[in-house]
Amino acid sequence: MSRDSLFLLGFVALFAVVNVALIGTGRLAADWAGFGTILAAGLTLALYSFLYRDNPLFKLAEHLYVGVVAAYELTQVWYQNILADVINPLFRGGDEGPRWVVLIPTALGLMLFTRLIHKGVWLSRLSFAFIVGLGAGLAIPRRISSFVLQQIEPSLRPLWTDSIGWGTLDTVVILVGVVSVLVYFSFSLEHTGAVGRVSTVGIWFLMVSFGASFGYTVMARLSLLIGRVTFLMEDWLTLNPPLF
Amino acid sequence: MTIFLSVCIPLLIAFELPVRATPNVRSVYDTIESLKDKEDATVLISFDYGPSSEPELQPMAIAILTHCFQRNIRVVGVTLLTEAVGLAQDAFETTAQEFGREYGRDYAFLGFKAGGAILVLNLGQDLHGTFPDDIRGNKTLEMPVTKKMGSLSDFDYVIDLTSGFPGIEEWIAYGQERYRFPLGGGCTAVMAPDFFPFLQSGQLNGLVSGLAGAAEYEVLVGKKGLAVSGMRPQSVAHLVIILFILIGNAVYLTQRRKGGA
Repeated sequence: MSRDSLFLLGFVALFAVVNVALIGTGRLAADWAGFGTILAAGLTLALYSFLYRDNPLFKLAEHLYVGVVAAYELTQVWYQNILADVINPLFRGGDEGPRWVVLIPTALGLMLFTRLIHKGVWLSRLSFAFIVGLGAGLAIPRRISSFVLQQIEPSLRPLWTDSIGWGTLDTVVILVGVVSVLVYFSFSLEHTGAVGRVSTVGIWFLMVSFGASFGYTVMARLSLLIGRVTFLMEDWLTLNPPLF
Repeated sequence: MTIFLSVCIPLLIAFELPVRATPNVRSVYDTIESLKDKEDATVLISFDYGPSSEPELQPMAIAILTHCFQRNIRVVGVTLLTEAVGLAQDAFETTAQEFGREYGRDYAFLGFKAGGAILVLNLGQDLHGTFPDDIRGNKTLEMPVTKKMGSLSDFDYVIDLTSGFPGIEEWIAYGQERYRFPLGGGCTAVMAPDFFPFLQSGQLNGLVSGLAGAAEYEVLVGKKGLAVSGMRPQSVAHLVIILFILIGNAVYLTQRRKGGA
């Protein structure tokens, strides 16, 4: 038996012993809620076992996750979209009768499945054309307005206001940052002399930005670890860690 | 292993760390606080996150819902993501039960519809047409909490809690910009730097970011929970990482001085 197999068997055996002890001492209820907690704890540990190396337990948890998510999403879409927005308006319209207009988006949606039929693939292009046309028509003006025009205004505020304070400093930092980063990304200009010096300032701004983003990323990943460790300690091992 | 221990040990040992609300978090709090005397004030919360970001965003959702229910503000929930349905229902049920709020009168959860950005547009045009029924099958035109809410513009405040796409950017571009309502945000820490420009431009009036933001909101609401307790391991782990960075740089500089690098 390989070292990896022994490690996995040991891990599973230890997990089983801990759970038997938890149920035996009454710290975990021997019901469906307790089983759910054990399953969640087992899957959490199985996924973290990837830190050792890729292994069958990790694969099992990964595949289980994909399957559960697919089934969960299908049920949500079925009840809240297909049933509520297609089947009910067509067949259970009540006094108002069937809403035939629903057939148009339904047909466009069904036509996407013709990608699976070689001879009927041209039908799916009609749906894709509709999606692309609608998406572009909606997105281009909305995004230009929200993410370009609305962002230009706060970048072009007057430097000197009635009272010079932190607000003025912020405006100066934004001005220098925007101009220097734009110069850095002007690759049609040779980065020598004054242009080179300004683009170096731009690199510094980018580095500070990347540093801030990385700091936030570390914080986010640690938060996820804290969430899982809290679950394992509080809900599974019932160590009841102090809240404050 | 060091990081793992720096998370585990502070969870088992209680010690107090100061948590102060930053202006971006306080802004969301103040906006909700300003609605407390308004009759039938209603807030819309969009739960756009899944279980993978639950540790950061669920405490945030609970803290904001707690605040709304403390102040007798009505809350309507929607989601642009299928994964959020269970989490949103759980957050509503936990907080509503605690404050004795009644479904349909004080709060409602409309559920999920596909479309993302298109759904936001539809909500702006006709909320009752987009969601004729809530997730429990009640008519939105009949429930007291939703019957007067014909469009996004009718809400006193809209908050999007997001972990990615679709999220705050869709709510700004297709909702706030078009229908002109005050929009606040809550997001995972990793996304926060992307949204700071929207705060400066006023497209977002406040932002609660990450577990730290949730902890700040819990302190403002006066109900410390998982986010505040999570600040202990978070702070210790950050100190350990900073220490490692300093040691790494010190070793690198020493080796370079000796000509080893």
